[in-house]
Amino acid sequence: MVHLKGVIKHFGTITALRGIDLELKRGSCLGIFGPNGAGKTTLLRILATLVRPSAGTVSIAGYDVVKEGEKVRPLLGVLSHRTFLYGHLTGYENLQFYGRMFGLKKLAERITQVLQAVDLVTYAHQLVRTYSRGMQQRLAIARAILHYPKLLLLDEPYTGLDKHAVSRLHDLIVHLHAESCTVIMSTHDLHRGLDACDEIAIQCRGKIVYRGLSLGTNVQEFEQLYNAYVG
Amino acid sequence: MQKWWSIMFFLMIFPLIYLCINRVFHAIVMYITMNVAIMLVFIYAPTEKMQGIVQKIFYFHVSSAITMFFAFFLVCVASIMYLWKNSDWWDAIALSAAEIGVVFCTLVLITGPLWARPIWGTWWSWDPTLTLTLVLWLIYVAYLMLRIETYDPKRARFAAVLGIIGFVDVPLIRWSVEKWRTLHPKPVLIQEGGTTGLTSAMLLTFLVCLGAFLLLFFYLLRERISVAQSRHALEVLRHDIDEIGVG
Amino acid sequence: MYKNSNSFITLMSGSKIFLQQVRALLAKDLKTEWRTREIFTSMFVFAVLVVVVFNFAIGADTELIRQVASGVIWIALSFASVLGFQRTGQMESEEDSLQGILLALHDRSALFIAKMLAQMLYLLIVVLCILPLCGVWFRIDFMTCIGELCATFTLGMLGLSIIGTFFGMIALRTRACEVMLPMLFLPVSIPLTIAAVQATTQLIDGKSLRDIADYLVLIGIFDIVFFFLVIIVFDYIVEE
Repeated sequence: MVHLKGVIKHFGTITALRGIDLELKRGSCLGIFGPNGAGKTTLLRILATLVRPSAGTVSIAGYDVVKEGEKVRPLLGVLSHRTFLYGHLTGYENLQFYGRMFGLKKLAERITQVLQAVDLVTYAHQLVRTYSRGMQQRLAIARAILHYPKLLLLDEPYTGLDKHAVSRLHDLIVHLHAESCTVIMSTHDLHRGLDACDEIAIQCRGKIVYRGLSLGTNVQEFEQLYNAYVG
Repeated sequence: MQKWWSIMFFLMIFPLIYLCINRVFHAIVMYITMNVAIMLVFIYAPTEKMQGIVQKIFYFHVSSAITMFFAFFLVCVASIMYLWKNSDWWDAIALSAAEIGVVFCTLVLITGPLWARPIWGTWWSWDPTLTLTLVLWLIYVAYLMLRIETYDPKRARFAAVLGIIGFVDVPLIRWSVEKWRTLHPKPVLIQEGGTTGLTSAMLLTFLVCLGAFLLLFFYLLRERISVAQSRHALEVLRHDIDEIGVG
Repeated sequence: MYKNSNSFITLMSGSKIFLQQVRALLAKDLKTEWRTREIFTSMFVFAVLVVVVFNFAIGADTELIRQVASGVIWIALSFASVLGFQRTGQMESEEDSLQGILLALHDRSALFIAKMLAQMLYLLIVVLCILPLCGVWFRIDFMTCIGELCATFTLGMLGLSIIGTFFGMIALRTRACEVMLPMLFLPVSIPLTIAAVQATTQLIDGKSLRDIADYLVLIGIFDIVFFFLVIIVFDYIVEE
């Protein structure tokens, strides 16, 4: 599903990624762990077609992200630090806008469905400016899954969420996993990340330094492993 | 018409000189040509009957103007190449050509009034070419400011886009200023007549002067590009040192 | 270059998804503007301010004022439009929604076209509000040439919107964006200003469409050339 080969990215004189090779099968859930500055966000943005790699090839579902970006984008759902939402529109209108941009059919039903999934039905017709941070993050999740994406890219999805919202997100990921949606998540939260994902990778200074399965690894072992690699 | 073709051909020689010969040789040729040009202007070229000795500014004024247009044309071409090939070298050319172009543009805007004052009696007469030069000055100064003020790493791209737009605007500005100027009263010539046309001696002097200016332009371009590239290399080195320090 | 020829083809064939996206973007911008009325109010108030100050600066000579009226109106509109262009770009930088839109966009020029159309609409409404005021203050009867005036202002506002929206998105990423935007936008739009002011002055003086045809052609060419140029380079502005 996802293939990265020799991906390098320079921002002027700064090298964010120094040769990433990654393969991911359809339906798996990968958690990328790493310290700040490791390049996790850059990697996700390259996958999201928001940034072009300086070198290397990236393909998603058989399409090259640089040359066939328009074919790749409808397959992606992206959750980032910023919510991509409009403060002066209501939650419902925000979802309606994105739904129309993606050309979704039966939009009203789908909006109700995702609002239920993130538990925001009662607040749907209030302006997003009045939402709390947690509510905005939940609406952003709804936006990300609105168009039935095949690949979900989550950049630090647990920041800003309360316990209730975290468990909802967890259920959502499990649900999507069951529907063979591929998920790639980057996070600092070792415990929750380990819980939600079935494959793990550790990224440090622009390279993937460890890749393995998360089954059977408990948190302490993983912490030791992480510290060993990251130092 | 024939004169334009020969000037075009003449202009094409200089990029070739820049590309083919080395720096020192270029500097020597430029120095010699400059000196020859100055001697020709002041000693060889006949004094114009109508305008007197002031007319000699023409050699420097028009040479600067042609060099300036060439510089901005180069900015446009380099900008297109930069957007297409995404190579820093083209970006360095665009930046250098713009900087030097603005300098020559300022020279035109200074020599123009100096020439106009004794002839027309006023410093500024909203002549179409001079007005076009003024607008170009504004556009390319904005180009340089854009380069300095942008914090986004895409700044070279923004500048490239402005470089293209600025040059494409030139015919439109020229056309609109000419139409506008038909409403503006032409200032009365203090002296009768005006230019009586170029004699062959004057033409020779002009071509040598133009050649000297173009050689100067390309020499400055060469130096400026190498400064830009050194600066870039320095930044890369600095960053590498930081990296080693951290790791 | 491959991607940009793609833009052209999409534009020319008027594909359904492209139009749908332009409509969705336009609806979103108009809805937000309707709720806040920020852009229109600031543009209109600023334009009125400029006209009034000019009026005081010129003095009480009615004949003189009548002669410079069209120049004053166009300057007021140019300067006021700068406020709108800035705000339009800023809307997408709150919560980084520009990235969200780019992810959904099939063809990036849809974003530019939607923003440009929205700006043009706001500017035309400002013109509609300001002309009666100027008619009263400068004692000019615009109704005698209202049809030709509409044509001139529409073409003029289109040109301003094309250049202004584009530079607005560029200037947003600079440190002194309130300064950079006028610096970029005003010199480039000089042909437009010259032609529009001349056309308006002649219309006020009672000339017919045939007399100002030259100027309208110039404005039209300006609009077409820069529209296509901007569409081609727009991709380079928004992508990393």
